[in-house]
Amino acid sequence: MTEFDVAGVGVWSEHFSSWEQFCSVLAGDVSPEPCALKPETIPANERRRAPLSVKMAVEVMDQACRSAGLEPAGLATVFASVYGDIQITDYMCRTLASAPRTVSPTKFHNSVHNASTGYWSMATQAHGPANAISAYSCSASMALLEGAVQAVEESIPVLVAMQEMASLTAFKPIYDTEQALSTALVLVPPGSCSSAFATVRLATSGDSHDYPDLPATADIDWSDNFAAKMLPFLQALATPGESRLHMPLSAHSSMSLDVTVHGAAEQARA
Amino acid sequence: MRIAIGTYTATSAAGIGLAAMWESLSARRTGLRRNDIDGCDLDTWIGRVDGVEDVSLPSQLTHLQSRNNQLAWLGLQQDGMLESLTRLKDQIGAERVGVIMGTSTSSIGRTEEAYTQLLPSGFMSEAFRQPQVHNLHSPGHFVAEATGLAGPSMTVSTACSSSAKVFASASRWINHGLVDAVLVGGIDSLCMSILYGFNSLELVSANMCRPFDRRRDGINIGEGAGYAILTREDLLPDARFRLLGYGESADAYHMSHPHPEGKGAVMAMGQALERAGLSPDDIDYVNLHGTASQANDRIEAQALAQTFTGHTQASSTKAWAGHALGAAGILEAVTTLEAMTHGMMPGTLNCEEPEPDSAYAVLTDNVERPIRNAMSNSFGFGGNNAALVFGQAHD
Repeated sequence: MTEFDVAGVGVWSEHFSSWEQFCSVLAGDVSPEPCALKPETIPANERRRAPLSVKMAVEVMDQACRSAGLEPAGLATVFASVYGDIQITDYMCRTLASAPRTVSPTKFHNSVHNASTGYWSMATQAHGPANAISAYSCSASMALLEGAVQAVEESIPVLVAMQEMASLTAFKPIYDTEQALSTALVLVPPGSCSSAFATVRLATSGDSHDYPDLPATADIDWSDNFAAKMLPFLQALATPGESRLHMPLSAHSSMSLDVTVHGAAEQARA
Repeated sequence: MRIAIGTYTATSAAGIGLAAMWESLSARRTGLRRNDIDGCDLDTWIGRVDGVEDVSLPSQLTHLQSRNNQLAWLGLQQDGMLESLTRLKDQIGAERVGVIMGTSTSSIGRTEEAYTQLLPSGFMSEAFRQPQVHNLHSPGHFVAEATGLAGPSMTVSTACSSSAKVFASASRWINHGLVDAVLVGGIDSLCMSILYGFNSLELVSANMCRPFDRRRDGINIGEGAGYAILTREDLLPDARFRLLGYGESADAYHMSHPHPEGKGAVMAMGQALERAGLSPDDIDYVNLHGTASQANDRIEAQALAQTFTGHTQASSTKAWAGHALGAAGILEAVTTLEAMTHGMMPGTLNCEEPEPDSAYAVLTDNVERPIRNAMSNSFGFGGNNAALVFGQAHD
């Protein structure tokens, strides 16, 4: 059993760019609107060099820290994604197949899976542990689990980000989604943060469970997007009172999450 | 925190398995060769593992075909690793053993190949439609499937610190009781992305790399696969070694250049010592990141001088197998454990005139000396740093 609190949350897609907008979409209150992406945490000169994947991550990491009211420099980070920056992967593979000596050095160093935590640490002067992970279809579960275990074992707040970009033509036979989605959470040891608005009790078991059905988010088709597997947990955080959900850890194991929401997430953007 | 280390193994250009690796280290014989990768015209030296392309995956795993997974499978078959895992599963159950693999580029070599044969529609052709290969978790998924370990599995990809950071996550999982043991490791294989990518940054040497030498002029890319079983202490009372500490930090400075004063490196080493409850003089040997790039070795030398005093000796073993990136952490952790086993510190190969800041500490020849505690450093792009401290379990 692992108990932790959730103190902050952030979310971005092309249809909503804040927790409040996301909650409205969940409630069916508004039609999603296209949302631009320009995270101001990254200094302008770095932002020009930052690829889309980094902008997506920094946007929600920033939202989650503001929502938690915590200085980003004091948080550890866990970034999770299955395909990372699929646009750079596509660029690298195309260039290598045609003119390998013309590979862009900036694109190459941005191709590392930890590019988002790298830019984030530079922008916020966060010197703490920065992880970047992947677990294919269990990535959303493992991001939560890794972040929760780190928060409790190390007694530090952990910023957990999970995202996936829209797919590209070459990949579509194996991974097909038109949607980009990034999410972030601030997980803290229980009782350690005054802005915590939910408590979660996590237990692993040998029971087999798939992810819960995705919440209705207007008519957005998340299709294969692995980050959308985080949405049922976000929905639980948006629901007052107690709820329970299961998330898979493998074909033969899973975790249960008992979520008690005892407040509301602070406005990410005051 | 005290975590027991069970069976461990390493496969790289320095040797397939521990015995071959140690023979190369003892004889000071490099595994580097002139670049002979098909379709790569770069004038450089590489650390290529012989015969990877001829490795056959088990029949139930052929859908996971990639050079990276072939190398992963070759590595798993060394030093009784699969047999040890079978015993461990019998002892505590497969679901109580987690899998955490480190990699920089996963199976990107297979994706590169797919892009040379795209259909007119732009789609990957049928033979390459391997959803569990063309993503970052390819090594973690492959190793979990190949070993039958059923605990949580994930892949860490933080560039060149990846398979050092797996030790930190595994320690947390075990201390937390999430699992009782974790197979940690790292796999990275030679691919065009890395060779041409590092070439674009002008970091690749046309010569054999010379870590910590004043005349060094860049890195050699290598490949490798390594693994170690980490468990709760009571499961392996006879374990020879313990993981005593780890440190993880971010430079917060630049994507591909280390912090000029080595701030993150110093933090990682300091945290690892603190967690281990050791003072700098308790560390007899440090296996350096020592890539032979101008910046890394100069700055790591400064960081070493800030952290240690006169007692600690250090060396880089990159000139034996090249820089295996996401696999460097595990390969060098294993090298460190073997140095502790044999009581021999491998002197930095190809280093004749060490960096002035580090000349007092950096060994240029093999030295026979007992090692009670040792550290291994791994630093990666994005300013991502990790340091590990290992100790003799019985002394």
